[in-house]
Amino acid sequence: MRVTLVARPRAKPSLPVEAESIIPQNFLRGTDLTVYEGNKERRLEELFFITVEGPAVSPDQVEVVLMGATGRVKRVGEYMNAGRIVIEGDIGMHCGNFMSGGEIVIKSNADAWLGREMRGGRITCMGSTSHNCGAGYRGEKRGMRGGTIEIFGGAGDFAGEYLAGGEVRIHGSCGDMAGIEMRGGLLVIGGTVTRPCGNMTAGTAVVLGHVNRMLPTFQYQGVNDEVWDGKRLKMDVWEGDVANRGKGRLLVAVGK
Amino acid sequence: MSGILVRNAFVIDPIKRISGEVMDIAIRDGWVVEDAGPDPVVIDASGCLTLPGGIDSHTHVCGTKVNFGRYMSPEDMRAGRTARRGVMHVTSGYSVPTTFGNSYRYSAMGYTTLLEGAMAPLEARHTHEEFTATPHQDMLANTLFDGNWSVMEAVRDRDIKRVAAIVAWTLSAVKGFAIKLTNPGGTEAWGWGQDVRGIHDQVPHFGVTPAEIISAMIEANEILRLPHSVHLHCNNLGVPGNYRTTLATIDLVPDLNPLRQSLYLTHAQFHAYGGSTWRDIDSRAEAICQAVNGKPIVMDMGQVMFGRTTTMTADGPMEWKLYMLHHNKWSNHDVELETGSGIIPVYYSRKSLVNCVMWAIGLELALLTNDPWQCLLSTDNPNGAPFVKYPEIIALLMSRRYREQEGTLLDPRTSHRTAIFSIDRELSWEEIAVMTRAGQAKALGITGLGKGHLGVGAAADLAIYPLDPDGIDPAVQVQEVIAGFSRTKYTIKRGRVVARDGEVIVEGANATIWSRSDVPSQYDMGQDPAFTEKFSQYYTVRMKNYPVQEAYLPRGVCIRTEAAL
Amino acid sequence: MKVVDVVCPFCGCLCDDLVVEVCDEKVVKVENGCTLASEKFLGDHRLQSPILREGFGWREIGYEEAISVAADILLAADLPLLYGWSGTHGEAQSVGVHLAEVLGGVIDNTSTVCHGPSILAIQEVGHPGCTLGQVKNRADVVVYWGANAIEAHPRHMSRYTTFTQGFFVKDAHLARTVIVVDTRRTETAEIADEFVQVEAGYDYEILSALRAIVRGREDVISGAVGGVAKTQLIRVAEICKRAKFGAIFFGLGLTMSAGKHKNIRNAIELVEELNRHTKWTISPMRGHWNVYGSNEVFTWISGYPFAVDFSRGIAFYNPGETTSVDILRRGECDACLVVGSDPGAHLPRACAAHLAKIPTIQLDPHVNATTHLATLQIPVAVSGIDAEGTAYRMDGVPIRVQKLVETKFPDDTEVLSAIYRRVREVKGQ
Repeated sequence: MRVTLVARPRAKPSLPVEAESIIPQNFLRGTDLTVYEGNKERRLEELFFITVEGPAVSPDQVEVVLMGATGRVKRVGEYMNAGRIVIEGDIGMHCGNFMSGGEIVIKSNADAWLGREMRGGRITCMGSTSHNCGAGYRGEKRGMRGGTIEIFGGAGDFAGEYLAGGEVRIHGSCGDMAGIEMRGGLLVIGGTVTRPCGNMTAGTAVVLGHVNRMLPTFQYQGVNDEVWDGKRLKMDVWEGDVANRGKGRLLVAVGK
Repeated sequence: MSGILVRNAFVIDPIKRISGEVMDIAIRDGWVVEDAGPDPVVIDASGCLTLPGGIDSHTHVCGTKVNFGRYMSPEDMRAGRTARRGVMHVTSGYSVPTTFGNSYRYSAMGYTTLLEGAMAPLEARHTHEEFTATPHQDMLANTLFDGNWSVMEAVRDRDIKRVAAIVAWTLSAVKGFAIKLTNPGGTEAWGWGQDVRGIHDQVPHFGVTPAEIISAMIEANEILRLPHSVHLHCNNLGVPGNYRTTLATIDLVPDLNPLRQSLYLTHAQFHAYGGSTWRDIDSRAEAICQAVNGKPIVMDMGQVMFGRTTTMTADGPMEWKLYMLHHNKWSNHDVELETGSGIIPVYYSRKSLVNCVMWAIGLELALLTNDPWQCLLSTDNPNGAPFVKYPEIIALLMSRRYREQEGTLLDPRTSHRTAIFSIDRELSWEEIAVMTRAGQAKALGITGLGKGHLGVGAAADLAIYPLDPDGIDPAVQVQEVIAGFSRTKYTIKRGRVVARDGEVIVEGANATIWSRSDVPSQYDMGQDPAFTEKFSQYYTVRMKNYPVQEAYLPRGVCIRTEAAL
Repeated sequence: MKVVDVVCPFCGCLCDDLVVEVCDEKVVKVENGCTLASEKFLGDHRLQSPILREGFGWREIGYEEAISVAADILLAADLPLLYGWSGTHGEAQSVGVHLAEVLGGVIDNTSTVCHGPSILAIQEVGHPGCTLGQVKNRADVVVYWGANAIEAHPRHMSRYTTFTQGFFVKDAHLARTVIVVDTRRTETAEIADEFVQVEAGYDYEILSALRAIVRGREDVISGAVGGVAKTQLIRVAEICKRAKFGAIFFGLGLTMSAGKHKNIRNAIELVEELNRHTKWTISPMRGHWNVYGSNEVFTWISGYPFAVDFSRGIAFYNPGETTSVDILRRGECDACLVVGSDPGAHLPRACAAHLAKIPTIQLDPHVNATTHLATLQIPVAVSGIDAEGTAYRMDGVPIRVQKLVETKFPDDTEVLSAIYRRVREVKGQ
């Protein structure tokens, strides 16, 4: 089954829309779903032109395609466990929250908290994402716990904050403090990053580009030969965060 | 307002010695009366267990540290959210719900009176503000004196009358109900990052010991003729081997009041540990119960239930020790010249032997205390568990089979460290009624206000449960018992139906009950130079700005006594 | 008439020892207060009646009409924002939260532009704090980090810390060691025993280094961190460890510099580490007199201290998303009610610009920067001068601010309650 949702023009285009109902499993029972626009509950078809093609008997046979102005549509894919969502344009905050299976493909940019507290599945973002990618919720001790997030562009601040499991790969550069409070999992950054991995206690972060302002509380362990993406690289290995009795590993490509 | 007639209720009212009689209860103008008057609203309570409104004699629901527990825990807030619905406000939170959350959830369980376990006098105004936002229960505040400089100085000078005078001034100023001592002396020591290790340790700089503070306060309490006794959180809470401290404390207690206990020992479970470390901890519930049986002491369980919760207490040093075990997050808030406090989130796990032992001790205390009037049901909400777990605790106390079923999920060593699975006793409906309302009313000394019973002249606070004691065997039908105590059919508060089938249906208007003991003018601390100097020199709030104004008690009920000074 | 022990409704210190002289229902003299206090009590050019924007001008209207216009604006909105609250008393804040829940709006206070990051940090690691009297009576080491107390909280040092005698600290000036950490040599730094000058934006690194040193891992620290020599860091760590009672106070220099809430978290974790050696506490220097009260009131009603979004019925909280700065910058809200604050003056320009685009209602006694953006302004009494109510000091101590003079103006509680009643009526509640 392929469900195509084309955003209708809205009178107040900056008003946020919360659309956690847009997950593949929900469309098995039809398209009579509701979303919120500001404080008003709307039927999905008030905000989207909906087309459904083909049958499906299980969520993994459902593909949902979002088109048009979806940059303010939040929580798409929240709690999804199977199937596929393809977003042709930008997507709003909290895309793929708590996702445990299936796949989300974002062809342009994703707003903040992409894959917050994700448990499994895969998110691919062809553009860039904002702050707190793969992070946790306020006050919680764990962010993403499983699955994979791959960003072909860059990310904002606090990428992979509280990362506890799974993998976050950012091909471009990150803002400030990627991998902060990391306690597990793998964070790979292709470009430049500032002050990575503060307070990390466990897990592995790899920087293939350049580190600005290495934190003073990481202990240098020497140079290792490592293989990343099929390439053999010499990498500086750091352990920390010593400020926090941490035993995380931060690997930085030599000479970048 | 027209009267209410509750028809064919299955009434258990231990104070009035009614144990399972089918009868009608007439209500008018907020009170239980002989005759409900013309055209009363009739409530059919046939086949329904009907009890006086529930009373929690030790819970943490309002005030500085409770609110800080919310403030620091958005992860707990999102764990229990309801939208605005009818007259019900938005609620958030699981272990530390918002004030309306507490009020609605207690109301659904038939509770109509709550005692906030710890109010720092300096921050009393905050507690009272939250009281007015907890609208479906009448509220009382235990007032903290454990590290009160003026009290400790008077104790050091062996001037009991002065101790009493200081308590009288303070309770009246902050509209408190009773004396609370939390780790007496320890909270002052915590001002320097220290603690006391036993009741005969010296409090740094003050030349007194916890034992001296406790004894003096018990005596002062009776001089003031306060309704409740001293309410004590013993020293060494949560320390393996602390049962010795608790036993030594029990030994201090004289019998001074014919109407009630002379000491209330709160959350006894946390004070009944044997062993010397967390590795060899075991239960000493039996020793505690033996010491308490027949003595002028009432305790509450402080039951632990498995799952996540938030611990919060004025016992700052204890919270630091607990934080050193859990390493999650830690808040501390010392209050100048008075007390301290700490908050940390915890998770009680069935996989932890220590937690299993704690769970067992609470139940043992309730089952090994001969007289249910001496061991009341509590979790020290939310320290042992959120109060919404009370129905499960009731079911555990009423069913040996349920205890054994739970036992199969626990660390198998629990049965070596505790006696819980060898206890046959199953509590009756009547004993549960004692442990959840009648005993509290008597221990708090508020039966005279019409609390805790349903005789003519009683406050019309009723809990009508969808439980038919003639049709249910609580030893077997555990789920029915839990469901029944979780949601009343009707909760009546001061003559109004406030909740039906778990839904609150009216806006509340509670009362705050406080104590005032009148002292002769020479004992008026407001005029005492050494006492007022504490304000001009050491407090950061002026004496004039310290007392809680009447504006904070829109429906204050004052229990006034004449001090024997 | 002289009134003693008056509470000052200016900053988070909530000094309660002012002496105010009242003559003909006007404050004519203030004693004991700082210059900021005097200005607040004496400066008084009130807007005299509600004003509604019409075309390019204003029309004076009555309170009844103002309340009905305000209710209509809020009811018509799809995402109303209720902002401010730090400049009013708790009873009004409480009505504000209930109004937001009925409307399905977002309610936020000025923490969004001051100590919001401190709250986020506390939510991660907790807050080892105390009331100010603990510091006054016990502290032998006091640290001001990114806080220029002398300018922003002029009586903080003389009432609570450095210069005041305490029970265990008789000779305050000699007995207390003062450490100031800042990017520039402020007035406060001038009186420090130890001044640590940090390169702008390097607070996080310095805090990490101090944590490592305190726990005995100075071996990993290089010769200098963020412009501070390792030798000085070691010296500071030693002073802190040797203290009998230490207290850190931090200000916007720490909350609003790069890293924001992570700076505060690191400072809290330094305090946690120091508590393994001796007694330490840490406290934010809250700015507005009752901003902490707004955090408290919001929390006991909604569960969250600021940035609470009721648009889905339940309370949702996520600073960065539900904070007013972010909502305004993204142009999301379509009406705004401002109470006890002047966002036109202190929010970023883009945010103020959005306020000008949407119907904005302001409850404020005075014409201010927000007036120029507003559609409707309703003048109210001033808490602490001609209105009374509850305020929470920066350390959480609740104090009642007094009504010193009679007034013709209704207070915030009365106006908000009237709007709340009207909204409930229209919604059929």
